[in-house]
Amino acid sequence: MDPYDVEGGAINVRFLQADSTRANFLIQNFDLATANALRRVMLAEIPTLAIDVVEVFDNTSVLADEFICHRLGLIPLNAKNVDEALLYSRDCECDGYCENCSVTLTLNARCTSDGVMKVYARDLVVSGGRPNDEIGTPVIKDPEGLGSVIVKLNKGQSVHMKCIAKKGIAKEHAKWAPSAAIGFEYDPNNKLRHLDYWYEEDPKKEWPVDETNANIDGVPQEGEAFDYDAAPTRFFFDVETVGGMEPDTIVQQGIRVLQQKLANVIQELQGGEDIDMGGFGGQSPQMNGGGYGDPTAGSFSAYGGNASVWGGGATPYGATPYGQQPPSNW
Amino acid sequence: MNAPDRFELFLLGDDEKKVEEKDETRVPNTAVFTFNKEDHTLGNLISQRLHSYEYITFSAYKIPHPLFAKFELRVTTDGSITPRDAVKKCCEDVVADLEVLSRSFTTEWLGKRIINEGEQDRLNRERDL
Repeated sequence: MDPYDVEGGAINVRFLQADSTRANFLIQNFDLATANALRRVMLAEIPTLAIDVVEVFDNTSVLADEFICHRLGLIPLNAKNVDEALLYSRDCECDGYCENCSVTLTLNARCTSDGVMKVYARDLVVSGGRPNDEIGTPVIKDPEGLGSVIVKLNKGQSVHMKCIAKKGIAKEHAKWAPSAAIGFEYDPNNKLRHLDYWYEEDPKKEWPVDETNANIDGVPQEGEAFDYDAAPTRFFFDVETVGGMEPDTIVQQGIRVLQQKLANVIQELQGGEDIDMGGFGGQSPQMNGGGYGDPTAGSFSAYGGNASVWGGGATPYGATPYGQQPPSNW
Repeated sequence: MNAPDRFELFLLGDDEKKVEEKDETRVPNTAVFTFNKEDHTLGNLISQRLHSYEYITFSAYKIPHPLFAKFELRVTTDGSITPRDAVKKCCEDVVADLEVLSRSFTTEWLGKRIINEGEQDRLNRERDL
């Protein structure tokens, strides 16, 4: 029996590494199309926060206004709970921006000494209200606590700008991407022959495999018969955050966003028939879907319990065919 | 200058619907669904997933033009279920799978973090000795 798959046929997750910046895990008994959809959603469709509008009051530096504005947009900002805490600016009732749909940061620096002064991301200060006391703070990971350089100033030069950070998704602009890169792999030993590499002499030498993943997936036996019906079931993910969100939040948000997408489709397909509320909870405002009995799921995370994207707990999904997963001691 | 706004990739237009269904009259039990403001993420997911149901005889998607954010999904069933219900069922099953995944992820993540922290504590204690 497969030592990595202790739960038989149920979809399950195993971690190889989990810390504040990376989640390296594998999903088992899953299917390729869904795994890839999840990967794509995590790359491009999770809402985060980034500077979108800049009012330039003063810029006597050597860089042009739009050059600096572009650099400001790319600075990762803490995106704690943006999903619920902020509205999309376009959905907000306000004119332009307000505290419900944006976080305002101010950059104000002047060089008064001889020599070059660097302006860092830490010099961006949140001004005005924000929904929680972490959102909008620039992500600073270096030991000196400086962050990335925005601009260099010489004596007498100054910059003064008001930056409006808004919620958005990476499909609109890559500055909203929550993850730096997502490693994705299946069938590391190429047992399914989905790949046919070009090689000079020996493909084993010229195409090194990821040893860890390859061992987990099982090294093929010499002379093993080829299974024409085999489909991939084990997927290796390596999610690395840019810093604005915890890596687990990225994955959980990805799942939510994908479920929301599918929920929209289901709702639309249902629309034509007469609406039978027996099927789904429809638009029920009831949060914290009571249908799920798993206490661990309820206590998790920033997005308000385990309310399903359907809103209602009385969905047919409450009882999945897989039942509750016992906590594993792996 | 005249580049389309990038939010047009994912925001529905004023008179647009997410999914439009059109019956294919030349072939029985067949429909073509047009998904507006969606891409390969959903197209590949649904069309491939449909292959796993035995009542589906055909399912595939295409993006008619790369500059327009829409795809067409063509579904043929064996007649025991309408294409519309088949797609709906498929989506529901994916949502259920994702729910299981989400829960497993949560427990495993917490477990791994606890192990990591325990390990860290142990290392710290050993260093202090």
